[in-house]
Amino acid sequence: MNSTVSIPDISNRFFLLKCFMVILVLVFLGLFPFVSDNRFYISLITEMMIYGLLAMSLDVLLGYTGLLSFMHNTYMGICAYAVGLFLIHISPESLWLACIAGIVFTSLVALPVGWVQVRTGGLAFALLTLAFGMMFYTIVWKWYALTGGDDGLMGMPNPDITLFGWHLGNSGNPTTIYLFTLIIVTICFFLTRRIINSPFGAVLEAIRENEDRAAFIGINVRRYKLLGWMLACILASIAGALFILYKGYIGPSTMSAFAGAGVLMMVLLGGMGSLWGAFAGAVIFIYIQDYISTMTEHWEIFLGLFVIFLVLFLPTGFAGLGDYFKRFRKA
Amino acid sequence: MNIFIQIQRTGNLIMSGIFSTIIDLLLNSLVLSGVFLIVAIGLNIIYGLSRIMNMGHGALYAVGAYIGYSLVAAGVNYFAAILITPLLVGGIGLLIERSIILPMRKRSMVYTLILTYGLMFFLDGMIKLIWGNTPRFVELPAFMQGMISIFGTQYPVYRLMTIFLIAAIMIGLMLLLNKTKAGIIMRAASTIPEMVSCLGVNMGYVHMGAFMLGCAMAGAAGIIAGPLTTIDPLMGGEMLISSFVVVVIGGLGSLRGAVIAAILIGFVQTFTEFFITDLAMVIVYIMMAVILAFMPRGLLGEGRFE
Repeated sequence: MNSTVSIPDISNRFFLLKCFMVILVLVFLGLFPFVSDNRFYISLITEMMIYGLLAMSLDVLLGYTGLLSFMHNTYMGICAYAVGLFLIHISPESLWLACIAGIVFTSLVALPVGWVQVRTGGLAFALLTLAFGMMFYTIVWKWYALTGGDDGLMGMPNPDITLFGWHLGNSGNPTTIYLFTLIIVTICFFLTRRIINSPFGAVLEAIRENEDRAAFIGINVRRYKLLGWMLACILASIAGALFILYKGYIGPSTMSAFAGAGVLMMVLLGGMGSLWGAFAGAVIFIYIQDYISTMTEHWEIFLGLFVIFLVLFLPTGFAGLGDYFKRFRKA
Repeated sequence: MNIFIQIQRTGNLIMSGIFSTIIDLLLNSLVLSGVFLIVAIGLNIIYGLSRIMNMGHGALYAVGAYIGYSLVAAGVNYFAAILITPLLVGGIGLLIERSIILPMRKRSMVYTLILTYGLMFFLDGMIKLIWGNTPRFVELPAFMQGMISIFGTQYPVYRLMTIFLIAAIMIGLMLLLNKTKAGIIMRAASTIPEMVSCLGVNMGYVHMGAFMLGCAMAGAAGIIAGPLTTIDPLMGGEMLISSFVVVVIGGLGSLRGAVIAAILIGFVQTFTEFFITDLAMVIVYIMMAVILAFMPRGLLGEGRFE
């Protein structure tokens, strides 16, 4: 790590208020399944948390490193398939081993892709993510023998979940999955926050602001971009492992460009460059999606109009921190 | 990808001997390269002049194919349809440019990318709303449905026609860029827009013209490629990815690079489709990754507009 890079000052003005808010939200979410019996909301909030994690991982890439990825959900899908296949074919009981195998496998896939990706600049990077995403999508779709093609991966076993020696229950139970997701997502959120506020995060932001200057002060731009890419992919793969445990099923549509646009929308809605904003975006987006898709089948038109409206009139998102793209303005 | 599977299934490839199979494959590669070329050049014209990467380009290609289908189904002569469709799609391009692209001129490129991504979903949704999900087939005039014999190989007449049509479009574009005043302004504006603006040319109109021209080319590619394949709502997305591959390999905004890359991708894709059917696109992507790993800016570099 470069010793000349200083840790940015974190404003402490509302520190107590922020702590209070975070604890309030966590306590509310933690107590929710014990207060309410409504399974629909428990599933919906689980999905929101998983997609929030995915949106946050994309935000690490988009908001902090300044790299646009259209198919970030592909890495979530790859990990979900890996975990599912491990549980089905190798060992139906060992959940943690499956998750670790899935994350390692996704990293092994993402590493060579990222190695090629970081060699290109802003726009070509974005187009390349689309091409690579379509490549993995095509593989998953066509490889019927392994992935089940269009039908998706069926017959997931429901392993028992143990966390730090504490037996949570069976993964077929929505409440168990809810609590498990809540704990993992909370850990990931604070871990990512810590990483982003470390000197490493400062380097990523320096690259976003001005790649040439970052290179001049001695930062190996490509290596840090690759590290940022890997961080985002690992977070996305954690989301993937949670996703398959929650759904018990994964199909290629989760990896499509359409779903990728959804994740991008969550980040845009929440505001680029804000970790909690990504969660806010995911909550709003999934709620709207749930609401509109029950009303009309032409959901694409509304998604398109929604995106256009957002970009034209609300480019900063809800966190109001969208004006981070000076790097692209130059191009 | 449906174009190519269909191309493979025409004729009795293996049965008719090695020589005619090779001729068949070569001609198919040319057809495919040509379609890629027209779409990718449209993208490159827009990018080269306004620095906007239009993610809705594939959807406009699909719109072109659907409009062509509707015109032919309504009894319009096929050749008239080939002339009318690009004009209509260009008109749609004009609407898009004036309504949503224009306010984005001063914003960063990420926003226009995401904006046109939204446009893509909107257009795809509109296609599904108007024409539905069922695949359509264009009814060709009788004389174009037959086969013709080239060196003893039976080859569909329409495919040959396609090659000539694409060649005509490319020659027309070359004449436009090299011989007319509009072409000279466009070439100049792709290198030094400030200077062109100082010479009293309204750059707003140049951007508008470039966007319309690009959209019209997508529409032309749509109507030309329509009869080669079934027309379904997915064709736009597939073509978008392929044309991005072409554009990225050739170099963003570089017209000559697009020509080289389109021919390269067309040939590689047709031949790999023939030998290993399922993994053809994967091989194309891997080839792209290898080229970009060694030449990050594409084969001919960025922004050469000639």
